[in-house]
Amino acid sequence: MAASVRGLFSRLSLTTPTIACQRVSSNASPVSSTIRSPTAAALTQQTRPFSSTSPAFAKAAKTAKGSGKKKKKKGKGDEPDPRIQNLKVSNPRKVPAPLRFGRNRALRHWTIHRAWLLWQRKERERQEKELARLYKSMHSACEELRQTSGPGLEEEGYLYRVAMEKKGVFKHNNFPMEYARPQVETPAREAWNHGWTRE
Amino acid sequence: MSTCQRVARPIARSMRQDRVTLGFTRTFSQTVIRRDEATKTTTTDTPPASQVPPPSSTAADVTKEAPPSQSRLTPDTATQYWEEMRLFKKGTPPVGSRRRRVAMQTSENVPFELMPYQCFQEARRVLQEDRKEKLQALSLEIARVKRLEETPADQLPGGEVKKNMRLRSMKKWVEELKILVDINDPIVKRRFEDGLGDMDKPIYRHLAEQKWRGYPFRLITQRIEQLNVVPDVLPKFEPTVDVQMFFRQRKTTPGEIIDSRISEKPPALKVQVFNPGERLVSIVVMDSDVPNAETDSFERRCHYLAANVPLSPNNTSLPLSKVNKDTQLAVPWLPAFAQKGAPYHRMSIWILEQKPGQTLDLAKLKELYSGRDGFSLKSFKDKFTLSPVGFNIFRSVWDEGTADVMERWNIPGADVEFKHARVHSLKPERKARGWEAKRQKPKYKSLWKYTKRIRGMPRR
Repeated sequence: MAASVRGLFSRLSLTTPTIACQRVSSNASPVSSTIRSPTAAALTQQTRPFSSTSPAFAKAAKTAKGSGKKKKKKGKGDEPDPRIQNLKVSNPRKVPAPLRFGRNRALRHWTIHRAWLLWQRKERERQEKELARLYKSMHSACEELRQTSGPGLEEEGYLYRVAMEKKGVFKHNNFPMEYARPQVETPAREAWNHGWTRE
Repeated sequence: MSTCQRVARPIARSMRQDRVTLGFTRTFSQTVIRRDEATKTTTTDTPPASQVPPPSSTAADVTKEAPPSQSRLTPDTATQYWEEMRLFKKGTPPVGSRRRRVAMQTSENVPFELMPYQCFQEARRVLQEDRKEKLQALSLEIARVKRLEETPADQLPGGEVKKNMRLRSMKKWVEELKILVDINDPIVKRRFEDGLGDMDKPIYRHLAEQKWRGYPFRLITQRIEQLNVVPDVLPKFEPTVDVQMFFRQRKTTPGEIIDSRISEKPPALKVQVFNPGERLVSIVVMDSDVPNAETDSFERRCHYLAANVPLSPNNTSLPLSKVNKDTQLAVPWLPAFAQKGAPYHRMSIWILEQKPGQTLDLAKLKELYSGRDGFSLKSFKDKFTLSPVGFNIFRSVWDEGTADVMERWNIPGADVEFKHARVHSLKPERKARGWEAKRQKPKYKSLWKYTKRIRGMPRR
């Protein structure tokens, strides 16, 4: 968890670990902790036991020499501020990070994406058309039933009426088959469970 | 030699040698085979492989390849420091990173659309089939439009009105199809992104408009609203062309406050129109915040007026200083200036499209507007039946250069400073009150240390 958060966070530049420094100063000696100096450099100077010069002087000498003391690199173990970590965890990115591609690769990606969108749209339109066709053919079949007379001496429209009947469909403990099974595109992977028995 | 080059050197060398022997058939994992052919192995202290002449055994390859020093001195493949320097001197700086150029030396340079990626090629096939369909639909639609145009209106149901309506919608669909044919083409996209698109073609115009509608259009409409251009200068206005403004070759964002020394010279405009064809436009630069102390109000002033300037999708550059003085320029440039103490002046730049075939009479324009003061854009627009299409704006305030600019252009009023009239309070004066105020007399001298903060008085 913590590692993933750190990974999430590696792109942000984090503030100096002030908390750690203060902890060091308080651990080192109660005397030095009474003298509060704001900078981390001064704090480290205070904790050094074998320097005879006062910390302020030592610092001044260093800057005067201009040796260009390198800033202490942030160690790998340094955790980002826990508050920011919490913030990051509780607000996960809604938008995924942008894809960083080279020019050609981005263009290829774009091409594929466009083709995929186009294919999806065509597929959708095809399905809609097919459904409309089915509906229309059913409609025309019903219309044909409505206009025919018979069988035998039955009057015109009898067949249609019978076909539209929903006898017993909405009885107690009964309902149309369409409601019982979700209407899906493809047949089930296991069409019939032959091993089923009532316990 | 840079680090990346040092890292890439062995790879580059091996690949180059492969190129000589195998002709790109096997670029990777050839190390073992190459070692066996002991003639070509190189140790680390030999000069870079590009300078090693290719083995003479493959004579055809030798003739094909140019001499190495020549081939290396191209901006695409130069990797050495001296080569880069030489290219810089020649004026053709090397392209991209050194790492890229090392890679380019051995690349086959396959054209983009033939790149051997399966999914990409499948996608291209899908897109090309779609394009073919769209092209067929387009030609069919064009034929239908032609047939409808040729039929007389009395033979059609609905007569002339219905026919025109049908024609209009069919033509609109034709335009849409023209865009749909090319919208999925990666080459078109690349050309547009490189700025190489031919704006006479509908697809590039469409892409340019999409891009403009994204951010710049929203920005300019926001400025129109924020700076109250719409009720102040024109009662209503919606920009439809892209106008960019450059002062001294630097693009300025709309509404930026420009130094008066910079706006002394007129800006160059880049006007991109999104509908086809050549048209004539007039350009107006006006100041809508000229303070008038007598009437205690603000007036308007014309800073520049040019008419009959041709504009087309491919002809976008419009430097205001370069218009024809005899046939186009009506009111020459007056630098933007704001007197001291006055609030910022809104200098708005307007592009007004003239009717097709209409040219404005310059003499009349000069007669009407050379006075500059009291210019009204609305009356100008109504008088000459123009339609405002493009807009940009900058602001000017009093700064350290304004006095000099005004002196150079013989504009009076550089010594004037505007100040707010003092408005006195209507409440009567009141004596100072409070504990401190009561203890100001010498009797309380011993307390003076504590009686400095009197309510209603400034601190001493």
